[in-house]
Amino acid sequence: MKKQQRLLAPLLVAAALAAPALAGDGYALQVLNIAILNCIVVLGLNFVTGWTGQVNFGQAAFYGLGAYTTAIATKAGLPWITTPFLSALVALIAALVLGMPTLRLRSYYLAMTTIGFGEIVRLIIVHWEPVTGGTSGLRAIPGISLFGFTVEGQIAHFYLLFAALALAALVAHRIRHSSLGRAMLATRDSEIAAELSGVDTVRTKILAFVIGSIYAGLAGCLYASSIRFISPDSFTGTQAVLFMTMLIIGGMGSIPGCIIGAIGLTILPELLRFLGQWYLVLYGAGVIAVIVLAPGGLASAYPRIRQRMAGFAK
Amino acid sequence: MGQLFINGLALGSIYALVALGLLLIFNTVQIVNFGQGQLLMIGAFFGISAVTQFELPVTAAWGVTVLGMALVGIVFMVLVYFPLRGRPPFLVILTTIAMGVILENLALIVWGPLPVSLPSPVRGAPFRFAGMVVSMHQAFIFATLTVVLVTQYLFFTKTRFGIMMQATAQDLNMARLVGIRVNRTIAVAFALSAILSGIAGLLVAPIFLAEPTMGGSLGLKGFIVSVIGGFGNLPGAVIGGLLLGLIETFGSRYISSNFRDAYSFIIMISVLIVWPRGLFGEKSSERV
Repeated sequence: MKKQQRLLAPLLVAAALAAPALAGDGYALQVLNIAILNCIVVLGLNFVTGWTGQVNFGQAAFYGLGAYTTAIATKAGLPWITTPFLSALVALIAALVLGMPTLRLRSYYLAMTTIGFGEIVRLIIVHWEPVTGGTSGLRAIPGISLFGFTVEGQIAHFYLLFAALALAALVAHRIRHSSLGRAMLATRDSEIAAELSGVDTVRTKILAFVIGSIYAGLAGCLYASSIRFISPDSFTGTQAVLFMTMLIIGGMGSIPGCIIGAIGLTILPELLRFLGQWYLVLYGAGVIAVIVLAPGGLASAYPRIRQRMAGFAK
Repeated sequence: MGQLFINGLALGSIYALVALGLLLIFNTVQIVNFGQGQLLMIGAFFGISAVTQFELPVTAAWGVTVLGMALVGIVFMVLVYFPLRGRPPFLVILTTIAMGVILENLALIVWGPLPVSLPSPVRGAPFRFAGMVVSMHQAFIFATLTVVLVTQYLFFTKTRFGIMMQATAQDLNMARLVGIRVNRTIAVAFALSAILSGIAGLLVAPIFLAEPTMGGSLGLKGFIVSVIGGFGNLPGAVIGGLLLGLIETFGSRYISSNFRDAYSFIIMISVLIVWPRGLFGEKSSERV
């Protein structure tokens, strides 16, 4: 397993780096760029839901907060370098306001609070027109520029976003294997057992929620300054459900699972356009089927198949 | 002013019905159903289809809807809760939300996105009561809530099956040991809960139009009411519902109607900060 993984990882990275050559500088690459951003958002959601077992339906709203913060700040003339910090800060504050009162309580309180939060963020974006542009959104957002260097074109953005995803996955991996990561898993499996083993479950849940929201906020910052157009449609409750679907179908708790789920379910709707409304029905059915039959999602399918194969070989 | 009071109470009665539906499932299996609002929407559309496509009288449409919702509730339980018994509760939150997404999009496919109206089962001129104008439909909403509360009370305290359901709610394994068919009582709880949301849907459709996406915000109101009143607390659900209806109606009149859905949410967060177990207390705490 280990040896295969070591072989697999560079292969995947090489394939990913070659992707722009295959996809060309058009719409396909833009979809891929959005897929990478979705990966970062879903990796964030994985901290809260995959590892800590708390249901967060506000991930799209945090993503939107990050995107609008960056858009408004750069349009007001602030240098780009400040925006990741601003976006992260806004997401952090929102997460603390929502998390502190609700994460002390049972798991469904966070779920309903974040659903409501998503709705409020949408209402504010739609109705605060002078600042947010209302339903028509904000156009011509200044792009990424660092110390005089600017990023131009889809291909350059692809490599930048790819690097950001690699960093996000690395940080997630490091946190997973730290004491905080182990505390998260213990909290998910049994809060009472975790408390008895000396884990401060409330602190763990709040930290996981805050980290997840910062991931979404930073992804939003990159979204605004790489796509350069934002509208409330990208940050609705349906989008939050889609992020959750990506996480569940890809595999809750698995970093490769998050990436497979996010990329797969970003590209799939483009291919399944002919299904119209039915594809959301299929998503819902897929979520129930995966949770009931294979809670580990697609990421758990590979080791299972390997085990089967090993069984046959004997 | 007095008029707003009546309107608020009518809206609040509907919220209370949604919360009562949530409460039935919560008290039986300790699970919060995040698809409750979509059940309500399905109920409204069952009624509308019965009236417009099958040209049934409105009262017959109510009967059809109640039967249909009982079936929907049982299917819901079999798909969403049954396979996940004994697994971490956050998984059931996810499946109920997924079921809500399925129902909402199926409704969009079957009934289309346009809002439709359903006639009220009562007709007649509005009457005056203490200087306030009460429409027949509003009076009917108050009457329905009262009937539901009385029936529910009698069912749970006076009938054998109701007492069996209470026993299941108190301790599932103990109930099984004394010979109660636990799965059957749970199925009935889901069916009754779906019926309550269906009735709420039938009551809402004549005031606001029915559309497939209406479930999300109404379901959320049900949760907010449950949080304000304390989860699993019956008087809390009713008082909380009426209170929320009043707050929303006065808020949209005197502050801003754009942010109607935001008031309830801000109130919920404030209640959670000050009284984490709701104004009237939660019914039961987590079991080991």
